[in-house]
Amino acid sequence: MPVRHLIIGGGTAGMNAMRTIREEEREPSEITLVSAERPYSRMVLPYYLDKSIAENHVYTATAANLATWKVKTLIGRRATALDVKANVCTLDDGTRVEYDDCLIATGSSAARAPVPGADASGVHSFWTLEEARGVLASITPGSQVVMVGAGFISFTILNSILSLGAKLTVVELMPRILPRMVDDIGAGVVEDWLKGHGVAVRTNAKLAKIENVKGRKRLKFASGPDLTADVVIMATGIRTNLGWLKDSGVKVEQGIIVDDHLRSSIPNVYAAGDVAQGRDLISGQRAVHAIEPTAQEHGRIVGANMAGKDVRYRGSLIINIVEVCHLDAASFGAWDDAKSEAISGLKKDRNAYRKLLFTGDKLTGAIIIGRSNDIWTTNDVGMLKGLVQSGQAIGRYKDHLRRNPFDVKTVFIAAQTTRTLLPETVLGRPSMAPGDSPVAV
Amino acid sequence: MKVLRLTPERCTGCLRCEIACSYMQTGAYQPSKSVIRVSPFESHTSYAPYTCTQCAEGWCMTACPVGAITINAAGAKDVVDDKCVGCKLCTIACPYGTMFYDTTTRKAFKCNLCGGNPACAHACPTAAIEYADTAMADWIGDFARERVSYVLAMEGAR
Repeated sequence: MPVRHLIIGGGTAGMNAMRTIREEEREPSEITLVSAERPYSRMVLPYYLDKSIAENHVYTATAANLATWKVKTLIGRRATALDVKANVCTLDDGTRVEYDDCLIATGSSAARAPVPGADASGVHSFWTLEEARGVLASITPGSQVVMVGAGFISFTILNSILSLGAKLTVVELMPRILPRMVDDIGAGVVEDWLKGHGVAVRTNAKLAKIENVKGRKRLKFASGPDLTADVVIMATGIRTNLGWLKDSGVKVEQGIIVDDHLRSSIPNVYAAGDVAQGRDLISGQRAVHAIEPTAQEHGRIVGANMAGKDVRYRGSLIINIVEVCHLDAASFGAWDDAKSEAISGLKKDRNAYRKLLFTGDKLTGAIIIGRSNDIWTTNDVGMLKGLVQSGQAIGRYKDHLRRNPFDVKTVFIAAQTTRTLLPETVLGRPSMAPGDSPVAV
Repeated sequence: MKVLRLTPERCTGCLRCEIACSYMQTGAYQPSKSVIRVSPFESHTSYAPYTCTQCAEGWCMTACPVGAITINAAGAKDVVDDKCVGCKLCTIACPYGTMFYDTTTRKAFKCNLCGGNPACAHACPTAAIEYADTAMADWIGDFARERVSYVLAMEGAR
C-alpha cells in the first residue's frame, strides 16, 4: 500500500513540501492536501492590491496542476483536531483523514490591536486574499487611509495604497517605524523619506478606540489628536494558527518545537513555516521565523524527509526586504544583537545607511537602506546576505569595512565568499526549476 | 553545462562586456543595466569581471514565490518577465549579489547566459571571459585577495 502523506495548509511551506515529495520519492505515494483557502502566494498580494497583476496571478497551483501532481485536495476545509495515536486528522466538516505521516503548515492569521471598534466594518486586516479583496474594494482615489502598525506587512502595501490614489497616515505604537526590522537610525532614514513622499507618520501612538462617525472612522489615541479615516488597515502583527492542536500531544512553545529534520515531538508529524519553532542559523537556538524564505526552505526539507530522504536543516536566516517609494530597506540575521560589534555608515544626502554586525570576524547581521536606483544597493543586499549565510571569516577585511562600510563587494570577493557558497544547497542536490518536477505515476 | 569562465589577469577594464551585456539584456548601451560588472582593484590598475555563478541551489529561483525564475535551455537561471511581480525576494535571497532590479519595468533581471550565446564572452577582446564547458569556480577570489592586500596596506599606513 502506498505511503499516505497528509499536508495541512496550502501556503508556501505546504506547497513546497508537496512538490518536493514528488521530486524525491522513489515509490508513488498518496498525498492529501487540506487547505482552508485555494493555494496562493501572500507575497504577491501587494501587487494584486495595486492592480499590476490580476487575481489569477496570485495562485500557486490550479486544480489542474494539483490533479497532475496527483494530490487529493480538501480545499475550504480546516483541520480541527489531530489524533497522533490513531494517526487521524479531523476536519471542520467531520471528515477523518488517516495518514502515515503529516505536515502541519497552518501558518498565521492577522492579529488586531485589542481596542474597541477594532472589529467593526470598515476596519481591515491585510493578510489573506479575502482581506486583500476587502481592502481593494474599499479604497478609491482620494480616500483617507490610516494604517495602524508600521511593520513589514504594512510597508509591503504602502506603495500599493499610494498608487490607488489614497492619502496615507501610518501610526505606530513603538517609538520608531519598522521596529522589528531596522534600528533607530535606519528607521529615521526611512521615516524622513516617507514624509518627503507625502506619507504622514506618527510614532509613539497608542490607539485607544475606533469610533464610527457618519460613515467614517475616528481613531482616538492615548495621547495626541484624533485621526479621521475612510479606511483603517490594522497591520498589528500576526498570530500562529495553532489553537486546534491543543491536547494533541504535539509539543508547542512559541511554535511547534521541531528537530533538525523538522519533526515535531511526534516522529511522524512534521511542522514547517510560521508554525514551526526550528533552528536559527545564526544563534543556533530555536525560533519562529514567520517569513516566506523560511517557509519555503522548511517545506522543501520536510518534503524530502517525508519522501524517505535523510535531510538535515542547517537553520533559517531572518531576511526581510521592503521597498517604499523607491527606497529599499533590508535586514539580515542578528541585526539587533546588542552583544555583537557594530560598524555603521550613514550618507544622509543619499538616504543610504549600512550597519554591519560582527561576532568575531564573521558578519552575523546587517541592515542596509538605500535608494532603489542606487545600483549598488541591490547587489550589496545580496552580498551581505551571502556573508551572513556563509559565515565566512573576513579577517583583516573587517578593518577595511570599518573605514568604508559601503565597500561590501571588495570584501565579499576578496574574502573568497563565493568559494564557500558554491557547494551550498538546501537539499544536498541542485534545485529543480518550477514546473520541472517529475510527476509520480 | 557551459559556464562563464573568468580570468581576471586578462581583464583590461575596457568594459566592452558591460556594453554588450546591457545591449543584449535591455536593448540599451548602458553599463548600469549590465548584469556582468567589472570591479577595479589597486586604484584602477587591475580589474575583474563578476557575474552570476548559475549556482546549484538557485537561491533566486527557489525563493521566488510565483515560480518566475526557471532554468533555460542553456542551464541558466532565467527570469520570466510575465510572471515576475517585482517583490525583490530574489535580490535578498541571492547570496552572491547578482540579482538586479529594473526600476522602470519593476522587474528583477539577471544573467541568463543570453540563452547559450553570451554577449559578454563574444565582446571580450582578451578572453578574460570565456564560455566554456567546465565546472563553476570562484574565478576571481585569489586575484582579488592579492590585489586588495595593497589597498589594506595603504589604509594601514595612514
